[in-house]
Amino acid sequence: MNSLIKRLKMQFDVEEQTQRSNLSFINATALQLPALLTHLRDYEKYTQLIFLTAVDRIEDNQFQLTYMLADESSQNNIGVRVRIDRENAVMTSIAHLWHHARTYQQELREMFGIDFPGSPGVNDNFILEGWEEIPPMRRDFDTREYSEKTYFPRPGRSTTHPRTAMKAVDPDYPELPLMKGRVK
Amino acid sequence: MGLKDIISPFYVWKRALEKPFTHPSPLTTRPGSDRYRGFHQNDMHKCIGCGSCETICQNAAIDLVHVDGIETTEADSGLRPKIDYGRCCWCGLCVDICTTASLTMSNEYTWVDADPEVYRFIPGADEKSWNDTDKGYRRAEGYNLLETERVDMDMTLGDDGIKSFMEVIHGYTKEQAMAEAMRCVECGVCVATCPAHMDIPDYIKAIREDRLEDALELLYRTNPMPATCGRICTHRCETVCALGHQGDPVAIRWLKRYIIDQFPAEKAIAQLEQEFEDNGLKVAIIGAGPAGLSAAYYLVRLGYNVTVYESQNKAGGMIRYGVPYYRMPEDIMDDEVTVIEKMGVILKTGIKIGRDLLFEKLMHDNNAVLMATGFESPYELSIPGEHHSRVISGIDMLDDIANGKSVEVGNVVAVIGGGNVAFDAARTARRLGADVCIYYRRRIEDMPADSEEIHEAQAEGVKIIVQSIPVHIEDNNGSPRMIWNRAEMVDQGPGKRPKPVLIQGASETADVDTIITAIGQASDYDYIPESMSGRIHFNKTRVATERLGQTAETKVFAAGDIVNSRGDAISAIADGYRAAKGIDAYLTTKKGEK
Repeated sequence: MNSLIKRLKMQFDVEEQTQRSNLSFINATALQLPALLTHLRDYEKYTQLIFLTAVDRIEDNQFQLTYMLADESSQNNIGVRVRIDRENAVMTSIAHLWHHARTYQQELREMFGIDFPGSPGVNDNFILEGWEEIPPMRRDFDTREYSEKTYFPRPGRSTTHPRTAMKAVDPDYPELPLMKGRVK
Repeated sequence: MGLKDIISPFYVWKRALEKPFTHPSPLTTRPGSDRYRGFHQNDMHKCIGCGSCETICQNAAIDLVHVDGIETTEADSGLRPKIDYGRCCWCGLCVDICTTASLTMSNEYTWVDADPEVYRFIPGADEKSWNDTDKGYRRAEGYNLLETERVDMDMTLGDDGIKSFMEVIHGYTKEQAMAEAMRCVECGVCVATCPAHMDIPDYIKAIREDRLEDALELLYRTNPMPATCGRICTHRCETVCALGHQGDPVAIRWLKRYIIDQFPAEKAIAQLEQEFEDNGLKVAIIGAGPAGLSAAYYLVRLGYNVTVYESQNKAGGMIRYGVPYYRMPEDIMDDEVTVIEKMGVILKTGIKIGRDLLFEKLMHDNNAVLMATGFESPYELSIPGEHHSRVISGIDMLDDIANGKSVEVGNVVAVIGGGNVAFDAARTARRLGADVCIYYRRRIEDMPADSEEIHEAQAEGVKIIVQSIPVHIEDNNGSPRMIWNRAEMVDQGPGKRPKPVLIQGASETADVDTIITAIGQASDYDYIPESMSGRIHFNKTRVATERLGQTAETKVFAAGDIVNSRGDAISAIADGYRAAKGIDAYLTTKKGEK
């Protein structure tokens, strides 16, 4: 795969991290991506798109998209990583390169709220019918809060905080506070 | 559509009498893969009911409930997770976060029942076919959501340490403290174990969120001597910390110290100062050690006029006069006392009750009196020759150093005892330039001293001879010669400490310049007047009180070492708090009766 990376570096502005002998990741810019993927598909035998997925890099205010391609003849995989702005989450569609990319893009639209203008059916429901919250795979989505709000608790459920249960250890457990504190 | 299309579906009828091609067996017994995430297993005896599984569960599928046969103990909440499989999404986060690694998942995933209620159960408590399988999801080797190692503390150890009385433990920086605070899972198992029941998870959270003013107030809610306890506390909380099951317990004591390190006295006072309504009632406290100061602090906050009488020149008790500066610097002790004093406590030092001021007068002038005089008279060895001029007590030696007197110990020192005082004396003698050897009658693991003190002392070159019992002391041209005997540990039956017994003929001699004795202390109750002696009761050497410190003489309360047998600072502080509560309850009731 080293020679492939060398060749890519001559034409594109990419950084590379090798994970295994048959698996490399390269970081590319969003603008370069369609050209880079087309090149990989048409000139480097990476004809198969295995998956397209996203990671919410909320600390950097970015989404990271990973396009995983395979060269079936050599069994080598290459992952192309792209960072896009999280606030204005729009990415060029690659549905014209691989028809099934539309499904991944439709999923990312629903789960992360990333738009792929022009991708067929990108705004159709994927699995979340009637979803009104922020996209659930965004890290600022509070799964627990949603779960508690949406699903009724089964009757008879109750819980005890360990700290409360521990009071049984000391019969003289003092009631606090003795003074009027200002702790919030 | 042709005729064929119409009749073709009926071709399959010709197979109606044949055996099916499908094999039912693999469909009914198809085991999950080895690391499949199926129904949970929980090792009930390993689990401590910390509730981390409940906290992390994103589906609110886990409740912590009491289970028959599992008792709440000092290190176990007695609760166990009960899982609602109607909500569980089998993500396995509960297994990943489990502090004791008791919770795992079996690879069993098929279970059909018409009653939905059976899908809510306590793994490990209820009989299930998958309880004993070793297949299923376990946390992978090397993968842990919890940080198992505590943040290292910078220390001056060994040869550098003994060059001076500078503090050995440096304290955490902000980055270190925040990283260490991140490790806490906020289970609160430690709160009950701490004698003062400090709000440990809350102040650790406050560190994490950098709300240090809140953290300070949380400390003072239950403990007005946080700088002391941040340094020399016996930290029983850490022995039950959930993180300790798979790694180092959270450095609770050092985190406490980090908070108070950020508050020099003036800053702490500004933060804690409040208006208090004077209720006109007076309380006298005898002894300005941890118990007395703690009681004084809380009584003042309740509106009482409190005067603390101390026979030494400065307040602090055994913390000031028994703990050397390299563990508890003098200026830190001064700050600690200043904060308490500025809250409105009147401190009268250099006054010994029974000598300079009579107990009867305190009784007459005050609405209540608290005795918190501690254990400060050293026990004698009770062996021949111990009144040699070069045999001194550890307590007196530490006291002299704290009072700025020069102490000469010579080049070779023997310390007798295995408690913190023995180690403090030994390490102080090292700092005075002597070769030091500790003689202890039992084994290292039997020593009452903190393990940190033992390790630090060894790192500083203190030698330890265990199972050694001094039998007599002779004079050797002005220096003491200690004759000691080796001992063997004799089993005393189950549940009892083995006893050291002298080995016949295994006698040895040690020529030294000074012998320091530190085999424990007793209290001196001479200040209690005879007129009251019948009305204050004793359990052996300790004052008998009811649970809030009240003695049989209802106006007199007692707290600290003279009451509790734990004998550490934090227990004394907790005692002071309880006594303040007791005095308040007593005086409030009395006021109501008038």
